[in-house]
Amino acid sequence: MCVCVCVCVFDDRAWYPLGRIIGGTIYPGLMVTSAAIYHILNWLHISIDVRNVCVFLAPLFSSFTTIVTYHLAKELKSPGAGLVAAVMIAIVPGYISRSVAGSYDNEGIAIFCMLLTYYMWIKAVKTGTLFWSTMAALAYFYMVSSWGGYVFLINIIPLHVLTLMITGRFSHRVYVAYSSLYVIGTILSMQISFVGFQPVSTSEHMGAFGVFGLCQIHAFVDYVRSHLNKNQFDTLFRAVISTIAAAGVLTLAVLAALGKIAPWTGRFYSLLDPSYAKNNIPIIASVSEHQPTAWSSFYFDLQMLTFMFPVGLYFCFSNLTDENIFIILYGVLSIYFAGVMVRLMLVLAPVMCILSGIAVSSLLSTYMKQIDDVKVEKKKQRFEGNYFMRSEIATLFVCVMSVFLVMYTLHCTWVTSEAYSSPSIVLSARGHDGSRIIFDDFREAYYWLRHNTPEDAKVMSWWDYGYQITAMANRTILVDNNTWNNTHISRVGQAMASSEDKAYQIMRELDVDYVLVIFGGLTGYSSDDINKFLWMVRIGGSTDKGTHIKEHDYYTPAGEFRVDKEGSPTLLNCLMYKMCYYRFGQVYTEGGKPPGYDRVRNVEIGNKDFELDVLEEAYTTEHWIVRIYKVKDLPNRGA
Amino acid sequence: MIVFREIILLLFALSALLIAVQCKKELSLSERVQQLSDAGTKKPVLRFNGDKFRQYVKGTPRNYSTIVMFTALAPSRQCGICRHAHDEFQLVANSWRYSQGYSNRLFFALVDFDEGPDVFQALRLNSAPVFMHFPAKGKPKKVDTLDIQRVGFAAENIARWVAERTDIQIRVFRPPNYSGLLALIVLLALVVGLLYLRKNNLDFLYNKTIWALGALAFTFAMTSGQMWNHIRGPPFLQKTQQGNIAYIHGSSQAQFIVETYIVALLNAAVVLGMILMTEAASKRDDVRKRRIYAIIGLGLVAFFFSLSLSIFRSKAHGYPYSFLLK
Repeated sequence: MCVCVCVCVFDDRAWYPLGRIIGGTIYPGLMVTSAAIYHILNWLHISIDVRNVCVFLAPLFSSFTTIVTYHLAKELKSPGAGLVAAVMIAIVPGYISRSVAGSYDNEGIAIFCMLLTYYMWIKAVKTGTLFWSTMAALAYFYMVSSWGGYVFLINIIPLHVLTLMITGRFSHRVYVAYSSLYVIGTILSMQISFVGFQPVSTSEHMGAFGVFGLCQIHAFVDYVRSHLNKNQFDTLFRAVISTIAAAGVLTLAVLAALGKIAPWTGRFYSLLDPSYAKNNIPIIASVSEHQPTAWSSFYFDLQMLTFMFPVGLYFCFSNLTDENIFIILYGVLSIYFAGVMVRLMLVLAPVMCILSGIAVSSLLSTYMKQIDDVKVEKKKQRFEGNYFMRSEIATLFVCVMSVFLVMYTLHCTWVTSEAYSSPSIVLSARGHDGSRIIFDDFREAYYWLRHNTPEDAKVMSWWDYGYQITAMANRTILVDNNTWNNTHISRVGQAMASSEDKAYQIMRELDVDYVLVIFGGLTGYSSDDINKFLWMVRIGGSTDKGTHIKEHDYYTPAGEFRVDKEGSPTLLNCLMYKMCYYRFGQVYTEGGKPPGYDRVRNVEIGNKDFELDVLEEAYTTEHWIVRIYKVKDLPNRGA
Repeated sequence: MIVFREIILLLFALSALLIAVQCKKELSLSERVQQLSDAGTKKPVLRFNGDKFRQYVKGTPRNYSTIVMFTALAPSRQCGICRHAHDEFQLVANSWRYSQGYSNRLFFALVDFDEGPDVFQALRLNSAPVFMHFPAKGKPKKVDTLDIQRVGFAAENIARWVAERTDIQIRVFRPPNYSGLLALIVLLALVVGLLYLRKNNLDFLYNKTIWALGALAFTFAMTSGQMWNHIRGPPFLQKTQQGNIAYIHGSSQAQFIVETYIVALLNAAVVLGMILMTEAASKRDDVRKRRIYAIIGLGLVAFFFSLSLSIFRSKAHGYPYSFLLK
């Protein structure tokens, strides 16, 4: 299988000087899918550039998601529910935000794989055949290859089986489905080099293993029960259960104490204990997508679904079947996780659509039947008790529901066009006279780097811009968005937060030739490096070499973060400040304000006329958004 | 003659008394250290009035440092922050007293405003609490006053400041907080007791309705942003400068606790309306009751949906849609 080849690929142009083993540190599913589509299309002599394949991959897969959602909801309830769910997921902003054209990220195909796995699993549980279980395992393999969120799957499916056991719905179908899925799925998942041996050694996968064992025991117990009479069975049962339970708990405890079973890793542990990341791992806490979710974010991304979802839960509870239990579990768990982390709204969106689809279609089908009772006189026996205004109330309800659905559509269209439709590399703003001003500074800077620096130049910047520099400027970088090495990022943070001399030592150690910073003070662009600076300080101070960097040194005595005259001297003399505000003190930015007025922080900067000792300015873009500096060489001896 | 002798004796006695008093004023260094350490072993934070302050903290010569907290603990002074600072200070002093490096080089003391107002005046202090370090030699400098505005008065910060000034490391030992553990134990006991009482009739666990209600309650809690409240700790509500009370936060990036309760109630009301409508359509009850259910359900749904939409409008500026209510 072509995945094995990836292990040999080593990227030495990212994470300099460490480099990165591509095969072992990413999930290959997305890339393999795009390559496969590209090759198939070209073999059919439809010549599409690979870049276009990548750009349009996410919308293509979201169309596939819609189809799978239809099938999944159809299995759970009825074709009507499937249709409504499919329509809802086609426009829900929570999913669209991560699958716009051009967003080439794992989530684009991961949601499709996840829903496909769920669909296959539900079919397997319903039919109990080996065919569907194997299909589910294959879909699971595709999911593992595409996203780290497969951990969610490998915990929710065993949880489902466990719930079925507890509620007494365990049957041979579930046994066949889960056993084959677990064995085949785990073996397949270990083929991905990034996953490796994790399924048998980390705590995140132990739940699945435990339930697998429990399945076997339960099935065996059922088998024995059918061959013995009651009394014999009871004695045997009680004796065996106590021994096994004791032995099992003992082994697990010993293994955990010996450290053979690795504990939950940071990213997933922070989902269970929300304050863990904030206190212990600043790099996880700093990503804006990892912040908790306020209620208006729920409403913004899901509108009507937030209250159709509980109604759908109610319908599922009214007639409990094996499949409904699964969707209830999925819904309740994903709503907890979406509350903890905004990014996981993506996982919540499909289940919201499915349950709302079930709710809407059930309500509508109930009430549509009551509308025209003029013709169906005989069938009225079913609804005994004809009450006055029944059809009027029903008509009114159907109208209200239609209005809700129309409002949902309008809301989704408005949200998508306002919030999720702008490119993030070219910015635009309205001038005073209403005309549109385009800021193309990012591309300008990257192309300057590409054409005016040596091929092997190393660029230091904060990790947000890593992928962009690699792709557009084609230069070696130190840290990028993968953020797999916290110590290296912390070293960059230390360089940015220290004074020029200390930073020069770090930059010489890391072989840095150019430094790139983003500065929004001239234009009012607020996602610049000064606003991110405190995170650089926190991350920089979180490792051993950075203990001299203390966050409170960068605040004023009153505890504020200020860049004007009142600002802390450490802040006013650190490398990041100097790089951002070099020569800014002579620039007039706004009418009526002194030169050097920062339009994002809304103050006049404190440290204005200074010279740089260890850097020289290489390039500043038109609107000063991107600033590039060259690191000076060591001075000549005797000069 | 006799009178003269009496007078001489009296004079001697007086002078002896005076000398004695004089000596008492200038206790030797070793005696002071002895008295301080005796008092310190009993009570880690010594309470000084004006005289004791001048004798022990200011009196020369000294080979020890003193950390003094100037505070106003009397209830009439209404200094709530003094109480918190006193607790933290007590923690540091206790940690020092029971630490391995405990010696006679460092003492912790307290001067209350009501007991030593002259001290406050002499040092020109007009706020409380103030933490000052009096070194063995010389006068205290500006850095010998703890900058509470910047650093706060948490015990760890006080200990760090003491270490900076005196090079004596104190490891602050906070007594473990058992309240969480206690709450957990009580909860477990309740659950076990409940199960035991109902052990003959465990059917209530299998009752679907209870699980359904639990799931619905959990959903309402999560979608109204309770996790955000738990992590960010926002205020309950906000009183604006004009004296009005703001229940809803103006921006969509933040929320108040009371706002989340309102949103949870709105969602619950809409869902209740929909459930009532379903029940009305499918049940076999009395005709009039079903009609009432249906009408109430419809009303609830329409009204509370428009209410939540208008609340969302007030937060997400630029949102153009509304339904029934503006």
